[in-house]
Amino acid sequence: MNKLFPTHEIGSLAKPAWRVKGYRGEPLSESEIAEAVDWGQRLGMVGVNELIKILKKRERTPEDRRAILEWSARFVIRFFENAGLDIVFDGEQWRSEMYEHVIRNVEGFKFLGYVKSFDYRYFNKAACISKPKYVKPFYVEEFIFTRKNTSREVKVPFTGPYTLVDWTFNEYYEKKLGGKIKDFKRRKMEARGEFLFDLIKEVIRPEIGRLVEAEARWIQIDEPAATTNPSAEEMELFVEAFNETVKGFNCIFSLHNCYSNYEVLAKYASQLRNCSQLALEFANRDSRQTGNNEVRVGYRELKLFEDYGFKGKYGLGVIDVHTDFVEPPELVRDRILYAAKVVGDPNRIYVSTDCGLRTRTWEVSFAKLKNMVLGAELARKALVQS
Amino acid sequence: MIGCYVTGILPRPKELVEATRAYDRRKISEEELEKAFKEATIKVIEAQMSAGLSYVTDGMLKWQDLLRPFTENLEGIKAGALARWFNNNTFYRKPIVQSEIGLKKDITAELAYIEHLPNNIPWKIILPAPYTLARLSENKFYKNEGELMFSYAEALKTAIESLTRKGFKYIQLSDPAIVYNPLKEPISRDIIVDAKEALKTVVKNAKARTCLQTFFGDFSQIMPEALDFPVDDLGIDFYETNLEKLKEYKFDKGAALGLVDARNSLVEDENEIFTVAKEIIESIYPSKIHSLFICPNCDLEFLPWEKAEEKIRVISRVAKRLRAELGIHE
Repeated sequence: MNKLFPTHEIGSLAKPAWRVKGYRGEPLSESEIAEAVDWGQRLGMVGVNELIKILKKRERTPEDRRAILEWSARFVIRFFENAGLDIVFDGEQWRSEMYEHVIRNVEGFKFLGYVKSFDYRYFNKAACISKPKYVKPFYVEEFIFTRKNTSREVKVPFTGPYTLVDWTFNEYYEKKLGGKIKDFKRRKMEARGEFLFDLIKEVIRPEIGRLVEAEARWIQIDEPAATTNPSAEEMELFVEAFNETVKGFNCIFSLHNCYSNYEVLAKYASQLRNCSQLALEFANRDSRQTGNNEVRVGYRELKLFEDYGFKGKYGLGVIDVHTDFVEPPELVRDRILYAAKVVGDPNRIYVSTDCGLRTRTWEVSFAKLKNMVLGAELARKALVQS
Repeated sequence: MIGCYVTGILPRPKELVEATRAYDRRKISEEELEKAFKEATIKVIEAQMSAGLSYVTDGMLKWQDLLRPFTENLEGIKAGALARWFNNNTFYRKPIVQSEIGLKKDITAELAYIEHLPNNIPWKIILPAPYTLARLSENKFYKNEGELMFSYAEALKTAIESLTRKGFKYIQLSDPAIVYNPLKEPISRDIIVDAKEALKTVVKNAKARTCLQTFFGDFSQIMPEALDFPVDDLGIDFYETNLEKLKEYKFDKGAALGLVDARNSLVEDENEIFTVAKEIIESIYPSKIHSLFICPNCDLEFLPWEKAEEKIRVISRVAKRLRAELGIHE
C-alpha cells in the first residue's frame, strides 16, 4: 500500500440479533428488526426492504437463511468501509466462531461438549478421532462474496493450525503411538507434532490453495494459542507450523496473536518466514494519556521484536477491544507515532485494533474505528509536518 | 495401602454447565443455581463412591479456580484480572495482595459441601499449596514472595485445623508452580527449602494424611529434596515427568501416581497403566511399598464430565489390579 499507516480491523465484529436469531429461524422482536433498518440507513444500504421482509417472516426457508448471512456480511463490509478502513473483510459474519467453524467443516473431529474456560464461561471442545480430512472449502465462499462486494483491499482471517491443535483433544495420534513410545511425555509431544503437520497438509494448505486460486491476496493466520506453551520445543513447533502452512504460496501472509507473552513471541518472530506483518495487541496494555514518550507503556514490547530482529511490518493494536472507552484520535495518533519512532520506519506500521471487535456493540465499534482512522490521518499529517 | 482418588476440581456435569450459563445470562435465580450445584455435587460424589475410590471429595464444582476461595475469602486480598492458568486454555483470577493476609472466619462452607459427603468413606480436601498461592499472586504488600508465602501458610494452617475438626481425613496441597518450568531454568534449591518450611507451617497441627500434589511439570526437578517434605505422600504428573529420571530415586514415603491424563479425552488402556505403575513401584520401592495412590495427573476439570467419570473408573480398576497382583490390602 502506498499510503502510510493503512488501517484494518483484525477480524470479527459482533453479530446483530437479526443475524443470529434470523439465521436460527427464531422470531425477531420489533426492536431487533428496527436495528437492521437503522443501521441500513446509517450505512446507506440499498434494498434493505428485502432483508426486512425476510426478517418479518414466521417461517424462513434455507434460501432466506442464506440471504440473512449475505446481508449481514454486506452490512459489515459497508460498516468497515464507512468507518474509513483501507483493508476490509466481512467481520466473520458467516462463521459461528473461529474454532468451531473450521472443526465442523472438516472430517476427523468430534465435539465432546463444554469445558471450562473461566468462571461460568465454557467452550465447546472437540477431539481428533481420526486423521483430519478436507471435505469442502470453509472460507472460500465467504472470501469471494466479500471480494465481490468491495473495491477495497481484502484480508482473510484464517484460524491457524497450531491453535486448532492446542484447543483440541488429541485422541487419534496419542492412541496411534500408544505402546510405541513408553514415556508419556515424549509420546504426547510426538503425537502433537504428527497431528499438527497432518492437519496442515490435509486441511490447512488445501484451503489456502483454494483461497489463492480464488485470488486472495492477503491471508492473516490467527494464532491466539501461539505462546500458551512457552517452552523452546513448543515455540519451535509453532514456528515450523507457520512456515509449513505458508510455504510456496503466492500470497501475502501475516500473523495475529493477542493477550500473550510477547517476550516469548518476540524471540521467535524473526524465524517466521514469509510473515509480512505481525498484528499484535498493545492498546490493552497501554495508558490513556496522550504523548509519544514514556507514557506509551503498552508499546514497550515492540522494541523486543525489533531487538530480536523481526524485519516485517506491524499491525499495531491501537484500539482496546475489551472496553467501551472510545480512544480519541489524538491518543491513536500518539500510539502510532511512538511505534514509528521505536521501529524507525513509518512504512512498517499498519494500524489496527488489538483483536476482533466482536464483544463490543456496533455503536461502540463504529466510534472506535472512526477514531482509529482519524488518528492514523493525524499521524500522517504530523509526520509530514516534522 | 494401594488406593485411588481424584486430585482436583471435577468438571461440571452438563446440567450444571447449562445452569451456570443460564445464571450468567440472568435467566435463572441464585436459588435455582444453588440447587443445580447441590444436585451436581451429589452426582459427582456418587460417581466416586460407585467407582470405589479410597477417599472422596465433594468435586469442588463451585471453585472457579484453585485459588478462588482464598482469593475471595482471605483478608488482605482481592480478585484481580484474568490470567492464563499455566499452559492451559483456561484462566484464573490473579489474587492481588493489598494488606496483611488473615483468616478470621471459618471458610469450610466455601471450600466444600460437607453435608453431601458420605459417612462410610473418608473425605479428602484439596487446597492450593503456599508456594503456588504466592507465585501466582500479585504482591503489593509483603517485602518479598517468601514473606507472602509464609502468611499464606498461616492462613492455610487455620483452615486445615477447622477442616480436620469437621472430619476431613486427607489433605492434598496442590503445587503446580513448584514444578512448572517451561523455560527449563534450574529451580533454585533455596526456593525448595523455603517451600518445605512453609509446608511445615501448614501441616503442623493437621490430624490427617497429607500430600503435596505436583502437576504441569517434571517432578524430578525437586528431587531429592522433596523426599524430606513434611507430608505423607508426594504426587507426580507422569505426563510431564521424565520416567527414567524419576526411577533413579528410592522413596521412603507415599506416592500418588498421576498416570491418567486429565488433559486428554483419550481413555487410557488399563493394561498399559497397570504395567507402568508396576514398573514405577518396583523401582521407587525396591524393598517395601509405602502408601500408594493411583490418580489423575491433575484436575479432571479439563474434560467433559462423562470422560472424567470414565477415567475415575480407570484409576480404580488399576488400583484394584495392583492390590491383587502385589498382595496388598486396601
